Amino acid sequence: MRIRSLSPLIMAGLLASCATPSVTLLTSEEGRQGAVALLEENGKPVESEISELNSRTNLSGKPRTRSIDPAKLSARKRTLLSELPPPPMRQTLYFKEGTTELMPESEPGLAYLKAEVAQRPGAEVQVTGYTDTLGSSEDNDLLSQQRAEEVLAALAQQGIDKGLMSAVGRGERELREETPDGVANPVNRRVVVIVR
Amino acid sequence: MMRTAFLALLLGAAMTQPAWAEIARIKRSVGTASVERGQDKLTPTPGFQLLAGDTLVTGKNGQLSLTFIDDTRFSVGPNSRISVDQFDYDRKNQTGKFVTRVNRGSLAIVSGQIAHSKRDAMKVRTPTSLLGVRGTRFIVEVPK
Repeated sequence: MRIRSLSPLIMAGLLASCATPSVTLLTSEEGRQGAVALLEENGKPVESEISELNSRTNLSGKPRTRSIDPAKLSARKRTLLSELPPPPMRQTLYFKEGTTELMPESEPGLAYLKAEVAQRPGAEVQVTGYTDTLGSSEDNDLLSQQRAEEVLAALAQQGIDKGLMSAVGRGERELREETPDGVANPVNRRVVVIVR
Repeated sequence: MMRTAFLALLLGAAMTQPAWAEIARIKRSVGTASVERGQDKLTPTPGFQLLAGDTLVTGKNGQLSLTFIDDTRFSVGPNSRISVDQFDYDRKNQTGKFVTRVNRGSLAIVSGQIAHSKRDAMKVRTPTSLLGVRGTRFIVEVPK
């Protein structure tokens, strides 16, 4: 609909600029450096890297990279970018030592997660439990799984569909704070919830 | 000992990505859009689970938005035909291989864990070229 309101001259310009396959490299959302490598061209291996942000490179014929003005992207590209899903969000909940009981300050996190899921149609919720290094690694595998399942159940109680969620325990692997074995650590006793 | 081995097996199974497991979820579908899986033509709605090997197809007013389990995000424009040829992801180590083919149309990508894990672990194929994704936000267009 929007395209129809554009003048024929602009339309012609739009079509011309899109006539060949191309890659448009943009700034990342967090301002990180990005790049795309050209590994093959017309079936032949090549090796060149496009690292100029806000540039467009044609992918047929001899590749040429040209700067573009990100403020003047075509309506089509703007729509495409605005339709990208929001970035996944992560929330960490902490537990009392040796238990599946949430620390009081982590409890509001559940309602926050519920609100986040409600805002995201087609959400996927990944719940991963962890422990500190106190106790045997077997017990910790079990405890971390129980923590994850406890959080999943609490989220279900908040009204989040169980079918959207998965729970897994990682025991004392991937410590947030490296400690020797047998050390109680409040930061490592956690469940990380990722909402995509 | 047996219990440890069993648990390790269980954890291992939960962490790697079997061929039939979900790789992405549709967030939004507008206009004419479908997912081709073998002979089947499926209708994507929010929450629809994508599998490796699926092809995303949109018509002239179609649009699809989706997020992969490695945090990669796609926005598929109109008149597109895009296949996820390969998606292997190890959730534990957050590494894998991801090959997408843009046969025609347009695709905006924000890359995720797989692209981040190793140089050129994520690739995008067009009819004329092969791209290695080194991050993070870009658009691939293949006009008809």
